[in-house]
Amino acid sequence: MASRRRMLLKVIILGDSGVGKTSLMNQYVNKKFSNQYKATIGADFLTKEVQIDDRLFTLQIWDTAGQERFQSLGVAFYRGADCCVLVYDVNVMKSFDNLNNWREEFLLQASPSDPENFPFIVLGNKIDIDGGNSRVVSEKKAKAWCASKGNIPYFETSAKEGLNVEAAFQCIAMNALKNEPEEDIYLPDTIDVAGGGRQLQRSSGCEC
Amino acid sequence: MARRLEESVGHKNEALETGGRGFLMRSEITHDEHPLSLGKTSVWNQFFQETEIIEQIERDVKRTHPDMQFFCGDSSLAKSNQEALRHILIIFAKLNPGIRYVQGMNEILAPLFYVFRNDPDQNNAVYAEADAFFCFVELLSGFRDNFCQKLDNSVVGIRSTISKLSELLKKHDGELWRHLEITTKVNPQFYAFRWITLLLTQEFNFVDSLHIWDALLSDPDGPQETLLRVCCAMLILVRKCLLAGDFTSNLKLLQNYPQTNINHLLYVANKLRGSSAG
Repeated sequence: MASRRRMLLKVIILGDSGVGKTSLMNQYVNKKFSNQYKATIGADFLTKEVQIDDRLFTLQIWDTAGQERFQSLGVAFYRGADCCVLVYDVNVMKSFDNLNNWREEFLLQASPSDPENFPFIVLGNKIDIDGGNSRVVSEKKAKAWCASKGNIPYFETSAKEGLNVEAAFQCIAMNALKNEPEEDIYLPDTIDVAGGGRQLQRSSGCEC
Repeated sequence: MARRLEESVGHKNEALETGGRGFLMRSEITHDEHPLSLGKTSVWNQFFQETEIIEQIERDVKRTHPDMQFFCGDSSLAKSNQEALRHILIIFAKLNPGIRYVQGMNEILAPLFYVFRNDPDQNNAVYAEADAFFCFVELLSGFRDNFCQKLDNSVVGIRSTISKLSELLKKHDGELWRHLEITTKVNPQFYAFRWITLLLTQEFNFVDSLHIWDALLSDPDGPQETLLRVCCAMLILVRKCLLAGDFTSNLKLLQNYPQTNINHLLYVANKLRGSSAG
């Protein structure tokens, strides 16, 4: 049946410049860390196959530029996202303070159908630095913010050491899946003949 | 600016002194000159904003061509070259308050500085910083609109430049254009944003991008027209792969453009001349 079709889950990674978005994505997808990443301009794109229960999904990950200047160009990248990952650096207070801006900007530009329940995930990255001695944002503080925004799942990661990265992305995939409307999965049962173009497009997508 | 800041610090000291003698007089803190002021004219606010830009420049200068010893590493050469890049970007940001510093400017500055710094004539090489600054300003005078957020949706901003590329492709290879933008829904912004804002410096190795820049900077049509032709030629050169590809494989291909014979690329680009979409 058409539900065998491999499903796409779109994930956007946001956060201040230099918090480690590119490193996290590469650690997850390629299991590699490098000190040599250039600044991301626009958005980079990677995919990874993930298995949830007994089904295979393609995670489509968009790693975005951190500078504020690029935000107004975000709408093309944000649209259709199933999950948004907010990253900050536990050693830089400002990157944590800005999470709220990133979250609001995303909701504004992506305009998801149910913004209250749109799945976000927060990652506090670079916990390896200086053995944790230079951190300025406590886990407690971060968790409190996440709780206040509708219980956003929170992970502390080190893209360098590969700490918690796999677990975080597994959670990201699960949450992205929750966001995916059911009709996408059980498409053949929900075709609405009166529905017009949208369904037609979809069914033609399934045939091939 | 530094002088004004000193003056303002002077005010603060005065205030502290008066404070020591009794109640702090309100009139001592005037004109919104205090560290928490958000007023646009406040030197403190300007100071914090500049600190933020300098930090951003610092971060990006450190990640400019991390694979090249000329730019990165612990050598004194790399250190002094980074210092020069930093100076140029900071001065540019201060002289252009409407744009300031935008990520990616470092990538455009790097080839200019590299060429001047490696001038075989030492008498010229010592002025690399000043020469690179002058040329950087010159070059950006033609491309600065791409960096300006306020112009993103105008007829001169980056979105409009990307549409020109799309038009150019449509004109020269309608089938490829249709497959890319209609069938596989690859929005040109997903790949061409970086191609255009960085003048192709991240798509090819350093030597190849210098080769392309020679063409961009020497063409009588000007860098922007020439750049769009080269971008369009890049698409045409991989058309076979693109026509066989879906969204994912096409976007991956265009974001990681394969190594190419640059002479051939420029030859193809040159043949698109005289029929620009702009």
